Amino acid sequence: MDRSQPAVVVEDLHRTFGTLKAVDGVSFSIDHGRVVGFVGANGAGKTTTMRIMATLDSPGSGRVCMGGHNVVHHPAKVRRLLGWMPDSFGTYEHMTVLEYLDFYARALGFKGADRLRRIQEVMDFTDLTPLADRMSNKMSKGQTQRLCLGRALLHDPQILILDEPAAGLDPKARVELKNLIRILAQEGKTILISSHILSELGEMCDSLLFIDKGRIVHHGDAESMMRGTEKAGETLVHVQIAGEPAKLIEWALTAPLIKIEEETKRGARLRIQSADDATLAGVLRRMIQDGLPVLDYHREERRLEDAFIDMLGQIDNNTFKGQPPEVRSQKSAE
Amino acid sequence: MNAVPAIMDFPDRLSPMVVKELRQGLRTRLFGGVLLTLHLMLVLLTLMSGGAENAAVVSGWFDGIVTLVLCIIMPLRGFSAVADELKSGTLDMLALTRLSAGRIIFGKWAAIASQSLLLMLSIMPYVVARFVFGGLDLFGEIAALFYKWLAGVVLAAVIVALSTQRQFWLRAVVVFLPLLIGGCGAASFIMISRMGGGMSSGLVFTSFTKSGGGGSALLVLGMAAWAIFFFLSLAATRIAPAASLLSVIKRSVHLVMILSLMIVGLLTGSSAAMGMTAAGVLSLVMLDALTERVNEVPSVYAAFYQRGWPGRVALWLLAPGWVTGMVYSALLVALVTVYVGWTRSVEEAKLVAVSACGTWMIAALVQLFSTRKSRDLLPPFIIFWLIVNVLIATFGSLLMMPLTMKGTTAWFTCALPQFLPTGYVTAQAGDKAALLNLGMLSACIWPAVLLIAAVFAWGHARAARQEGWRMIHGDQGGSAV
Repeated sequence: MDRSQPAVVVEDLHRTFGTLKAVDGVSFSIDHGRVVGFVGANGAGKTTTMRIMATLDSPGSGRVCMGGHNVVHHPAKVRRLLGWMPDSFGTYEHMTVLEYLDFYARALGFKGADRLRRIQEVMDFTDLTPLADRMSNKMSKGQTQRLCLGRALLHDPQILILDEPAAGLDPKARVELKNLIRILAQEGKTILISSHILSELGEMCDSLLFIDKGRIVHHGDAESMMRGTEKAGETLVHVQIAGEPAKLIEWALTAPLIKIEEETKRGARLRIQSADDATLAGVLRRMIQDGLPVLDYHREERRLEDAFIDMLGQIDNNTFKGQPPEVRSQKSAE
Repeated sequence: MNAVPAIMDFPDRLSPMVVKELRQGLRTRLFGGVLLTLHLMLVLLTLMSGGAENAAVVSGWFDGIVTLVLCIIMPLRGFSAVADELKSGTLDMLALTRLSAGRIIFGKWAAIASQSLLLMLSIMPYVVARFVFGGLDLFGEIAALFYKWLAGVVLAAVIVALSTQRQFWLRAVVVFLPLLIGGCGAASFIMISRMGGGMSSGLVFTSFTKSGGGGSALLVLGMAAWAIFFFLSLAATRIAPAASLLSVIKRSVHLVMILSLMIVGLLTGSSAAMGMTAAGVLSLVMLDALTERVNEVPSVYAAFYQRGWPGRVALWLLAPGWVTGMVYSALLVALVTVYVGWTRSVEEAKLVAVSACGTWMIAALVQLFSTRKSRDLLPPFIIFWLIVNVLIATFGSLLMMPLTMKGTTAWFTCALPQFLPTGYVTAQAGDKAALLNLGMLSACIWPAVLLIAAVFAWGHARAARQEGWRMIHGDQGGSAV
């Protein structure tokens, strides 16, 4: 795979179903070894985009290149580079875990001892060895999800597309899955994950792609998303002090650049009219110098879910001023 | 680290799909149940076949049970073969492996065929026992068993092809309607043959194959092989990626098949039978060619352009899509019509042409009543075909009855290509030529309508062809077709 070009390039992608515009001019690129979260409400166009990237659907117009290969012109080359895990589990009746992996290993061209070795590696990685003789359609969701991840990894793909991998999993299975994805990211695989559980995506992903009504509305890292207010040059901080919070309120009323947002049980939420780290540190220093017994002072980060919902609201009101999607200008990735 | 147990049940050289389907299929309750019930019944029948007086009855039951298992139950195992994979999303995962659409479909069919073969081989000892104790014609019975298996695997190919259709009701109608009609026909045939001298189906098959010597048997095998290829390739087209060029292989094979039938007819002096067989093959080939979606993938056209002018000519006949399918079917219709006209009569040639217009009529109706973005043309084609051929033909026959009884020519039959052959057969001798010419004239409307739709559809794919041209020739002069 040519590593001089991005692992994934999507340019002006459109796809309609009848009169419905499922994907409407989506553009983005992903560099090698990056883990990118794909976020959007149901019907926003995530799965359609991912299916086109996985060569399972055809674009109406636009260009999609995976590892430098156009998905329409060279689907076979793309498929060799790609591991796909759909939101449906896709197991078979009357087939054990071992037979399931053996079938896919055969279908991917592995033969003899090489096939057994690869199955062993994948089963060890996904911790499926103790379940080798279990019927593949008689397992828990977490186990099935690990089996499907194992299947997607059989041919050691460089790009992984995971559609809602954590959907329906219990917390333990979710942590296990997150750990597996973390290891894969450390191995240098390029991973695109769609999920509704945004907090988990924030932890796992280098950047997030937000899609709404078939359009990419934001492409950036989770931190910048969560500190959405910094754009406006303001920061919310939580302060707790020992003793009566009234002392803090009194101090805040006279301090420059500070507004009281909300009084809390042991302190207050303060809006500081600066996003500069030095200014924030200066406010804390002044509090201590003025004799306030500060127990806790931290910058408030919005939850990703809130940030996403705020952003969608701003888009609906045409007031969104977020980052435009990163689009590379290479015209030929092939 | 625990070692994974080695899994060596099937060798590497077997297709992965066959391995998967056999692993699953042999474990199903249906297969085990059918196997056990079949043997139980055959043991009972073998024990009963001792007396000469009930030999015919036992023979009938034996044939019936074996036919039911090999020609109905086993092929029906393919009823949801692909539809289930489509619904559960597993077909997507298969598509991302190195398995081509053709290998996926072939694997589905081959697993059913091999399970049927297993059943057929398990029946052999009973045939031998009946030969030893009942004095039956061993060769005839074995030949009958083989032909039943062959019919079953051809039917399995039809049903696997239909299973690419998601809608259950459409699959059910298409499978069970002919099965019902065919089953009634087969039952009547067996009853009549038994009443007329107790000839076993084994003897029927033997007499059939012996009537033309090895040639007839070869023809049957050849036709069966082609039919299996036809239906499996039709199914593969429906699940293949847009960039695939299956139409090139399919249409080339069909062309060779029709030409072979014609040559065999000329060489063996059976040109009439071969002409009619070719006409039958033609109608199926037209169904396939006229239901392919117009391809808008540039690399598909580029594959033709890179072969120079022969490629550009081939593009008109072999490129995927119903527009080229129309050109291709026109070529085949011309070939078969000329052949029938040369070897039989001009009237029969005209009837072949009118039948072809009937198929073009259905394709034209599909184009008129479906949106441009309709991705799947086969279901509407089947629905229109059922409406026209089953409903209208049935009511048409009822309308014709009073006229036929009066000895009057049913002139209205020239309005629909599907009616005309019946109208022609029952027409007054003096009216036949006029009815045929009038029918031909009215039938020509449909290819004309289809041609207009084709011009528009071809225009919509122009951008893809231009892009395909640029992929090969860059921006240096010339233009795509």
